[in-house]
Amino acid sequence: MPETAILTEKLTRRFGNLTAVDGVDLQVAAGQFFGFLGPNGAGKSTTIKMLTGLLAPTSGRMNLLGVDFASNPVDVKRQIGVVPEGMGLFERLTGTEYLHFVGQMYGLDRATTRQRSEELLEFMQLADRPKTLIADYSHGMQKKLALAAAVIHGPRILFLDEPFEGVDALAAGALKALLGRMTERGATIFLTSHVLEIVERLCSHVAIIHKGRLVAQGSLEELRRGVPGEAGTQTLEAIFLSIIGQDGTERPQLEELTWLT
Amino acid sequence: MADVGPRTSILTQIKLVARLRWRILRNNLRRKNNRLDLIGLIFAGAFASILVVGLSVAFYAGGYSFVSQGRASWIALLFWAIFLFWQVFPVFVAGFGSSFEFRTLLRFPLRLSTFYVIGLAYGLADFSAVAAICWLLSMAAGATVAQPGVLPVMLLIVPAFTVFNVTLERLLGSWFERLFARRRTREIFLALFVLSAVSLQFLSPFLQRYGKSLQPVLSRLWPYLSVFPPSLAGRAVADAAHQDLGGALVSLLGLLVYVVIFSGLLWQRFAVQYRGEELSETSAPARPAKRADAAASSAERGDALGVLAPQIAAVVRKEFRYLTRNGFAFITLLMPPLLVLLFSSQFGGKHPTLSHRGISPEMFFPGMMAYLVLILLAPAYNCFAFEGRGIQTYFMSPVRFRNVFLGKNLLLVAILALEITLAIVVFALRVGLPAPPRFLATLAAIVFVVVGQLSIANWSSLSFPRKLEFGQMRNQRQSGMAVLLAFGVQIVLGGISTLILFAGKWTGNAWLPAEAFIFLAAAAIAGYVAALDPLDQLAQTKKEVLIETLCR
Repeated sequence: MPETAILTEKLTRRFGNLTAVDGVDLQVAAGQFFGFLGPNGAGKSTTIKMLTGLLAPTSGRMNLLGVDFASNPVDVKRQIGVVPEGMGLFERLTGTEYLHFVGQMYGLDRATTRQRSEELLEFMQLADRPKTLIADYSHGMQKKLALAAAVIHGPRILFLDEPFEGVDALAAGALKALLGRMTERGATIFLTSHVLEIVERLCSHVAIIHKGRLVAQGSLEELRRGVPGEAGTQTLEAIFLSIIGQDGTERPQLEELTWLT
Repeated sequence: MADVGPRTSILTQIKLVARLRWRILRNNLRRKNNRLDLIGLIFAGAFASILVVGLSVAFYAGGYSFVSQGRASWIALLFWAIFLFWQVFPVFVAGFGSSFEFRTLLRFPLRLSTFYVIGLAYGLADFSAVAAICWLLSMAAGATVAQPGVLPVMLLIVPAFTVFNVTLERLLGSWFERLFARRRTREIFLALFVLSAVSLQFLSPFLQRYGKSLQPVLSRLWPYLSVFPPSLAGRAVADAAHQDLGGALVSLLGLLVYVVIFSGLLWQRFAVQYRGEELSETSAPARPAKRADAAASSAERGDALGVLAPQIAAVVRKEFRYLTRNGFAFITLLMPPLLVLLFSSQFGGKHPTLSHRGISPEMFFPGMMAYLVLILLAPAYNCFAFEGRGIQTYFMSPVRFRNVFLGKNLLLVAILALEITLAIVVFALRVGLPAPPRFLATLAAIVFVVVGQLSIANWSSLSFPRKLEFGQMRNQRQSGMAVLLAFGVQIVLGGISTLILFAGKWTGNAWLPAEAFIFLAAAAIAGYVAALDPLDQLAQTKKEVLIETLCR
């Protein structure tokens, strides 16, 4: 039986009258490449923020790598890496300075931090701008730096909120290879993306959240079995649309835009 | 294929833009957080109206009296005043912030001529333009009432001067926009601006000493100003008042030449924007420099922060880098020695400029130190202001917030110690130091006041955060509550310190204040240490507000 990396019980978050995340029970095994999907405003980012300590749950429990988050947040954070929505970079540092800062915040000694920073900057193709402030980086460069910072301490769980948005194809290919290698070595990747093709290609397991509730969870094969159509041939997009459409949510109708079409 | 919409007229497009600006203003005020802004806007509006109406009366009186008293040529001074306000005020309002609102209109199907006209219309809707036009009309009315014969010339001069000013203002505005689009340029300009504002403090002592010798230089410069538009406009009115129609027309023609030249330049600028000017913030590709950060790394290796816990040391380093990259904050650090220099020349030393006898160092020294602490501690009440989205890094990493505060406070205290030492050296050279009991009491009082404030300032930073941007002045306000709190705490601590200082005098025991302050400083340090853990918990409670406010 594989170790459970992420376990949530009745995880709920309310903002006033709005319940953004409603009693979510997630279970992610260690070493899984896990895709977390949902339409806009479904509660993906809120869930990821709670799982990474950026947002306190209204109720429910979170257990990461067997450690209760609420009672041992520092121990949990030591073992996870995060690329949050908005990336969370100190924009007035250079890339090198930021990686040095993050490495030391995670308790790495300075020699290790320096060595890993240099290697990560090389890998992310950011090493040729040693004196450029992050504020002057392009969006894609910032994303690559945020990814480098998230892995500098060798996390056992990596949370990635839209990691490939704005990243060029070359770097995206290298990143996917890196993430794949990390899962082979036992790390767990928890990823949200709107690009379903990427999730389908990378992830072994998927959960779908809709209007704050978890509506599906399992391996891709399990999800394919649960929707109508020729067995084993449905794309993730078809699965996603089928599951989201089950509660009566209508897709936008092209027929309404007759003046354009 | 979809139908394409019909062409719209220039007037319709101007109306649309005006409606858009109004809706943006209205919707902005409807936001819950901006209720206080609305109240502020009402007060500012009332104040601005009083200013405009009051100065309109003054311009009317000026125009009337210059023409009626036969000194019509002096009316050029009024044109100069209007001109300077019209051109300088928008620069202050722009406040070194990047703003491309007007350029965003270029995505719509506008012709260059429409873009140009809308650009001028934008300029005429600014406060500086509205106020200046009011003053211009008032001045014209005053001059006309004094001598109705100037009316025809006024009817030509006022529109020409208005078009000239609005064209020049838009031209300068577009150049500033291009210049300030680059972050680095914006920050350098802000730093220079703050530096010149500080330097202005020295203007009064300078003029007192050298004012008389400057007068001949200024009077020699005056004739050269006569070829500039405000002087030309003034001369045209003066010639009309003296019934020299030919002279008036020549001056008017001169003004129109300026209008044509600047209109041409503005057309060129707008044409460049219309074709798609690149104002990107992203820097040019750098030359490959493999392992080029080795130097920086070796510099880091040798620092003296090894005695600190790695996380605290990391925060100190990060804070120091942020400080050196924040022109405004960095220049604030130059202030203490400069202020000691300034005040010592005005109130102390052998030749004070603002008092007959220099103030004794016994009172001057503690007063000066209190003032410096007041300036240097003010940013501590909103110490996360410049973190931006980086605040998330603190909450994502396995660090206790007490260590973040320790790092931030440590750097502030180190800077304070350096600044106070510099100020004491300047003070000793310029005025002399007070007697040992007062000197020691002041130093102990500084420790008490600084450490006593730090715990409250840390609490304020968590409770009333406000995001501030580097290199910008526009919309850069601290939270009202944080300002109020800082003010209240400083008054209370200042009051206690004053009472203790005077207690030494009343009891006849010169060492009493020093003893009392040493005790209070020890208590403040103990209180600071005790407050760290509760602050750590408070940070967890307040993290959502902090992240939301700073990542906005």
